Amino acid sequence: MNNNELFHIADSWFKNQAWKPFPFQKQVWRAYLQGKNGLLNAPTGSGKTYALWVPIVLDYIKNNPDYKCKPHKGVLAIWVTPLRALSVEIKNSTERFVDEIGVPLTVGIRTGDTSQKERAAQNRSLPNLLITTPESLQLLLASKGYDKKFRSLTSVVTDEWHELLGSKRGIQMELALSRIKSIAPNLRIWGISATIGNLDQAREVLLGTGSKAYENSVLIKAKIKKKITVKSIIPKKMEIFPWRGHLGLHLLEEVIPIINKSKTTLLFTNTRSQCEIWYQKILEKHPELAGEMAMHHGSINKKTRVWVENAIRDATLKAVVCTSSLDLGVDFAPVETIIQIGGPKGVARFIQRAGRSGHQPGKESVIYFLPTHAMELIEASALQQAVKAQKVEDRIPYLNSYDVLVQYLTTLAVSDGFYPEEIYQELITTFCYQSLTHDQFGWILNFITLGSQSLQAYDEFQKVEIEEDGRFKVNNRGVAMRHRLQIGTIVSDAVLTVKFLKGGYLGSIEEWFISKLKPGDVFTFAGRNLELFRIKNMQVLVKKSKQRASVVPSWMGGRMSLSSEMSQLLREELYAVAELLNDREEYALDKPDVLEKINAKPLSRELKSLMPIFKRQVKESIVPAQSQLLIETFKTREGYHNVFYPFEGRFVHEAMGSLLAYRISLLTPITFSIAFNDYGFELLSDQKLDMQQVLDNDLFSPQFLKSDLEKSLNATEMARRKFRDIAVIAGLVFTGYPNKLIKSKHLQSSSQLLFSVFKDYEPGNLLLQQAYTETFEHQLEEGRLQIALDRISSQDIIWKACTKPTPFSFPIITDRLREKLSSEKLADRIKRMLISLEKL
Amino acid sequence: MEITIGDTLFTLHPSGAIFWPDQKMVMIADVHLGKISHFRKFGSAIPQKAIETNFNRLSVVVSYFNPDKICFLGDLFHSTLNSEWGMFEAWVKNQSSTIILIKGNHDIISPSLFSKLGIQIERELLINQFLLTHHPEKRDGLFNFSGHIHPGIKIRGTGRQSLSLPCFYRQPNQLTLPAFGAFTGKFLVTPKNGDAIYAITEDEVIEI
Repeated sequence: MNNNELFHIADSWFKNQAWKPFPFQKQVWRAYLQGKNGLLNAPTGSGKTYALWVPIVLDYIKNNPDYKCKPHKGVLAIWVTPLRALSVEIKNSTERFVDEIGVPLTVGIRTGDTSQKERAAQNRSLPNLLITTPESLQLLLASKGYDKKFRSLTSVVTDEWHELLGSKRGIQMELALSRIKSIAPNLRIWGISATIGNLDQAREVLLGTGSKAYENSVLIKAKIKKKITVKSIIPKKMEIFPWRGHLGLHLLEEVIPIINKSKTTLLFTNTRSQCEIWYQKILEKHPELAGEMAMHHGSINKKTRVWVENAIRDATLKAVVCTSSLDLGVDFAPVETIIQIGGPKGVARFIQRAGRSGHQPGKESVIYFLPTHAMELIEASALQQAVKAQKVEDRIPYLNSYDVLVQYLTTLAVSDGFYPEEIYQELITTFCYQSLTHDQFGWILNFITLGSQSLQAYDEFQKVEIEEDGRFKVNNRGVAMRHRLQIGTIVSDAVLTVKFLKGGYLGSIEEWFISKLKPGDVFTFAGRNLELFRIKNMQVLVKKSKQRASVVPSWMGGRMSLSSEMSQLLREELYAVAELLNDREEYALDKPDVLEKINAKPLSRELKSLMPIFKRQVKESIVPAQSQLLIETFKTREGYHNVFYPFEGRFVHEAMGSLLAYRISLLTPITFSIAFNDYGFELLSDQKLDMQQVLDNDLFSPQFLKSDLEKSLNATEMARRKFRDIAVIAGLVFTGYPNKLIKSKHLQSSSQLLFSVFKDYEPGNLLLQQAYTETFEHQLEEGRLQIALDRISSQDIIWKACTKPTPFSFPIITDRLREKLSSEKLADRIKRMLISLEKL
Repeated sequence: MEITIGDTLFTLHPSGAIFWPDQKMVMIADVHLGKISHFRKFGSAIPQKAIETNFNRLSVVVSYFNPDKICFLGDLFHSTLNSEWGMFEAWVKNQSSTIILIKGNHDIISPSLFSKLGIQIERELLINQFLLTHHPEKRDGLFNFSGHIHPGIKIRGTGRQSLSLPCFYRQPNQLTLPAFGAFTGKFLVTPKNGDAIYAITEDEVIEI
């Protein structure tokens, strides 16, 4: 059959569905049949599944003329999705196509949810199309004879590649593909990604830097543009002091008419605790919504989540309060309206969420923005601009993640074993390990075989063995089993399952939260008030409680930073305001006609509504203009506050704060605690800081950036936290058998402890160094910091000594999560803490 | 740093050991020898140098106080037998002091092996009005020295500073020693009125 005849099969099937193929779908079909690899840039709900599944099947027909009568044996294509929840949807779509055109291909799913029985059946013979996750794919690489199973593969499709790209799950895909490329001679590799800033790089990472696959590849863009309308909910009364963490509940009543007006509304919150609270409060104030409202977040038990998802699809719910858990995934046609509670921090996330509504072609997406504190209205104003300009963030891929490599090599050693030179050649064609040297690779090999870099007497280290022919292999069954249980790169806190005393599973909760509660305490979880009965065998047993006041668990990891795109847009908004305010003659805020004048300016509604706050801000300070960096100092009962406003997002501020604190501490022995948010950072001390001295010494200099950052205590603390994940991924910490009270208690240890031991005894350890690299590149965003410092060096520094906290400073100084930095001797610090204690 | 309990004098050492001059005895809690080797045996590559540190620290304390008796307040050996036992044997053979082990929950190695090395094993030890145990205990009229909980203290100051350090934790009739071992964690305690905390820094013990 030639290509035209093949296309005819697809076209007539589309016609039968009363559909017309999009141009991008046809483009992909053509490219695929020409034997190309590629990346398809298309949003969810645009028919991207058929863009790739159709040509995979057509190609099969082409190569198997007797396809109708002879069922195909073995796996033909693997479809990788980051979200298990998506797999059923994909299975239905793909089955529908092959069933209706009469091609007897089988479709199967293999994820963490797949039953043991089904797995066993799959192990005997894989389905023709296997839908799976990056983790399950790694597990297949850990099974014996995987190379024979994969030899027949014609394609691997990685769906939602943008979600994987900036994460270690993305590296798992790079590694799996590098292996499969060598095994399957007729392989085509495709990815599907939503719009991100670095699509070209996304293609390179997927296909492998400098690889043949990359050379023979295309980037196809769907070019479907959606109309998005952003509406801010502006409080009628503006608070002058915008506290952090108000959760936005004071605007709750504004949400109700919006919910009532549309078929289904999704309310996105940024954290799970915020989600719980909003759900509770809406029901409390509007009991009539009971039964029509639900909640969805990652800690709620899966059954409930699936139920909620189905209910959305069936249009039986008016409103769902949710977190990023509903960012991705299945299309929910009945969703008409989105409400974003609190700043979404990134353009891509905001557009993605907006896109959850108005899914039918031609319909516009409507998203309401509900600010949790007044300053977020500036963000809203910036978002309007961002949506217009489609300014979407990059997803930065990882480089040289030794932890994932350690895990991967052990995986290969667990299945059939590997020969290092062969694998090394594959590794250096991946993006992540393109610069991996022989020395580093040798270090990793020593690490997994010797547990150190040299053989020592009386050592009982046991993991990977080197067999006589040079094959690296795991022969110990215990090692293999523990490794299989630990495959994966998503590390979560120790979680306990929450259950009713009488039975009934509610979800899971982080150990550190529950450990703060005593039996009898009441907390809110999964939308209910629960009384803690007791904790036993990794289970939290609870009873229903009628008590109303309760604690809401907060989940770690809920803190996001403004992206550099958002920060830039945010600053531009402020500059516009500053320009206005600095013209004091004409816009003196106490003049009666000034509001009219301001209204005539091309400022957004949001900014106009913030005028009372700006007015209070300029009373003692300023709104910084483009050429200015603002510093405010004032004293409260808590000590001396020094607040800086670079408006660069919290991660950059975290870094800049510790950098400055370190540099100041070189001038004089002093201890700071550092707080930061998306707008600025604060150095709080019990001693008065000589700000003039800071300015005179040019402490914002971008010179010696890295070495200064490294020396700040802060980097170590951050690296310590990064190391936690690295230690688990590299298999240094065993997280236990699932649902079993840990029998291996002697093997449990906190990664904190491990970090200290490595730091003291093996500072050259690559995994330890990786913790620092990740801290600098991913957490501190060193690159962004450099750019920010360059910008600051061209600005005038405006130092305002204020008598009281200003509106801008309020959200920062009330932040309770802090870093610290000290140049004083430990003993001195303690002694001084004691003196001040006595004074109280 | 020196403290008195009743009218008996004790020296607190920054390593976490206590010296009892009247008895010429050093007390040490929770060394957890063998823990690192145990981890290594199960595929977790903890640096081996940390093993030597435990033995070096022990030797430093012993040569500093030159005691007649060394009393381990439990959890001397973390796990089942492994290669670190050999190093321990070698260390013991170099000691001139009498060694006593009060058995802790982690000490699962057969007592006969300890006896072979001349180590005396006890469930508890009563000397004058002082009771030495692994788990903290309250008994009328006695003052208890114990280990087991690995006490640590978090100190806060103005400017929202905080620090956490291992410490000796003294309650009215009790003193709990910090963990001595290099690869051990700590449990933060909340002192009540009448308690005393002696925190350990690199080369000093400081009362808080």
